[in-house]
Amino acid sequence: MTATTTSASHGAGQPAERRPRVNARRVLLTVLLAFGAFTMIIPFLWMILTSVKSPAELIEFPPSFWPKEWVWSNYTEALDAAPFATYFRNSLVIATGHTLITVFFGAMAGYALARIPFRGRELIFLGFIAMLMIPTYTKIVPQFLLVKFMPLFGGNDILGQGGSGWLNTWWALLIPGGLSPFAIFLFRQFYLSLPRELEEAARLDGLGEFRIWGQVYTPLVKPAIATVALLTFQDSWNNFLWPLLVTTRDDLRVIQVGLAVFQQEGTTQWAYLMAGTTLATIPMVVLFLVAQRYFIQGFATAGIK
Amino acid sequence: MKKETRRVKASLAAGAAAFSLVLVACGGTDNGSEARGDANSGDSEVSGDITLLTPIYEGNEGKQLLEEELLPQFYEQYPEVTVTVDYTNFGSLNEKLTTAVASGLVPDVMMMGVGWIEAFASNGVLADLGEHGVTIDELSGDFTPEILEGGVWEGDLYAVPIMLDTRFGIARKDILAEAGFTEPPGSFEELREYAIALTERSDSGELERAGFDLLSMDLRQMYEVFLFANGGSLFNDDYTEPAFNSPEGVEALQFLVDLVQEDEVEDIGFSSTDIDVHPLLNGRAAMAVGHNNLWIQLQEAAPELADELMPFSITGTQPGMFFGGTLATVSSGSSHPEAAMALVEFLAGEEAALAANEQRGNVPARTALLDSEYVQSNPLVQFAMENLDVAQREGGVPQWLEIRGDFTPAVESALLGQKTAQEALDDLADGARAAMDR
Repeated sequence: MTATTTSASHGAGQPAERRPRVNARRVLLTVLLAFGAFTMIIPFLWMILTSVKSPAELIEFPPSFWPKEWVWSNYTEALDAAPFATYFRNSLVIATGHTLITVFFGAMAGYALARIPFRGRELIFLGFIAMLMIPTYTKIVPQFLLVKFMPLFGGNDILGQGGSGWLNTWWALLIPGGLSPFAIFLFRQFYLSLPRELEEAARLDGLGEFRIWGQVYTPLVKPAIATVALLTFQDSWNNFLWPLLVTTRDDLRVIQVGLAVFQQEGTTQWAYLMAGTTLATIPMVVLFLVAQRYFIQGFATAGIK
Repeated sequence: MKKETRRVKASLAAGAAAFSLVLVACGGTDNGSEARGDANSGDSEVSGDITLLTPIYEGNEGKQLLEEELLPQFYEQYPEVTVTVDYTNFGSLNEKLTTAVASGLVPDVMMMGVGWIEAFASNGVLADLGEHGVTIDELSGDFTPEILEGGVWEGDLYAVPIMLDTRFGIARKDILAEAGFTEPPGSFEELREYAIALTERSDSGELERAGFDLLSMDLRQMYEVFLFANGGSLFNDDYTEPAFNSPEGVEALQFLVDLVQEDEVEDIGFSSTDIDVHPLLNGRAAMAVGHNNLWIQLQEAAPELADELMPFSITGTQPGMFFGGTLATVSSGSSHPEAAMALVEFLAGEEAALAANEQRGNVPARTALLDSEYVQSNPLVQFAMENLDVAQREGGVPQWLEIRGDFTPAVESALLGQKTAQEALDDLADGARAAMDR
């Protein structure tokens, strides 16, 4: 932004010899950003390189950067340590489910809080803000009890007694983490920034509230959708404790549970852990590459607010 | 038009995803970890569908051992029993148990750690095994008294030990030889002397080899080894007061503080519990407090050092060794206590326990297994088993799971010089007392 402004202000009326200074700045900026990017990427690179090192090479000190021998079998051996195909599928289903639920309902809630005047709106919004402050660990037991005593599920009667409710089902994995106050907050901020004129014009054209939300405003908050979707997917993909608590069956467990196999009391199998983690990171990297334009826009806009 | 097509595609994709989710959500089947055999002989009087919560037997290898080797043998003896297994790890076991107890869905058989029994027995979650015919007297021939004590609460037996995690001194024989030492240190003073002599720094003063590594082990467990070796204990005899801030406890911590601050045998930050490789394996330390499963790491990464690792008891006023471990318990609310009890006895039995220990590189709790091929082929496990009579455990009070989390910061504050050893342990004792009074 600074570089662009400087460049524009030095347009026609300025002497041409100032140009190299601008270029030098750009070069410096590029070098700095490249350095920043490199420091960010180093841990990932280290993870990948560690994943193909032999145990003998891993104990060397000082550690080598490039593997002397590329041990690709670490990947196959890591995948053999747990049913990763099942875990991967489960993580994908849960993360996709959470993302769809969050984007759909979060956008509706955010829109309502931003654009529909109703009594108690501010109070509800404050409630959502307050929910952001509650630490995850304090919610685990109450959430677990809600799931266990879910009426008319898993052998429970209408009062939620007698059975196991949603425990050991996909409902327990999909519903409780399906919507976050953060997503609602973010959507609200985006909807607030849009002009009122659009809404007025839409109403004059006879559109109802649902269509104003779906056809007029929501297409304008794509950066928010991308941001919320990516953050939700990532959060859900990395979730470990909740899926472990509400299931007892291996066929409902997630990829993070599989990775925990490599960390036992007093010892960690680093090569396998890094191989598994590299594979587990791929979907996130692909998603980011696909959505990065909107994602960055989303963060930039949220930051300006 | 193009925009319209894209919108339709997006709607279809979203619809398909939602539909597939609903299908998956509605289609849960019970094909998880239930294991069953087709045996047609054995004790058919014991019956029932029971659940087992376990932090061991994890991963494909562990699951295979449990479900394809051990449980089929169990079913041969008890054909009318079905076991459904819920696998977890120690990191999440407390949450699993807490939510299970809060919701009333307590597994019939639960495996838990040393120091955990007191909390769950005092809350009435665990069954008194004596009421099911398994008594302390009966097991006293199979386990050393201190090991068996890990499953006892207020004089009653609530758990049977299966495997132990032990911590003791380990030295690199070749590095000790460089300084002319042929035997491991036999006292605190010798340990200090060795550690100073074996510490190596570069010309610029950077630590290249720690004479004695304190930091790769969890600081609570590391301190407990020295506390026990110095004749101290965590609590008084009737478990009503903390005792780790006794003169013995303070002296033990002061010894560690002096090693770091005065003798500079290791720098803070040189190693940690998260370190990739134990410094004994790459020569970055000459001696350390280590875990018995260091042998497994050695076999994978540096088998050529097999003859160079030398286990030893940290010795102050007495030899000290710390043990944690895994014990099997029965829920007091189990609908099938006989079946649950049968499973506990089976899993803690010699054959099953040996297989489980071998899979994880751990120390069998049963003294008879000292002669097994597995123990005899693993020098660290063998050393631990030969010295189980001096091993001491942590815990003893129901609040231990709460108290233990404050140990590491307290030891750390003393090692960093933020508090004196006495202040750090006194503050820790105040916290422990408050927890015990609640």
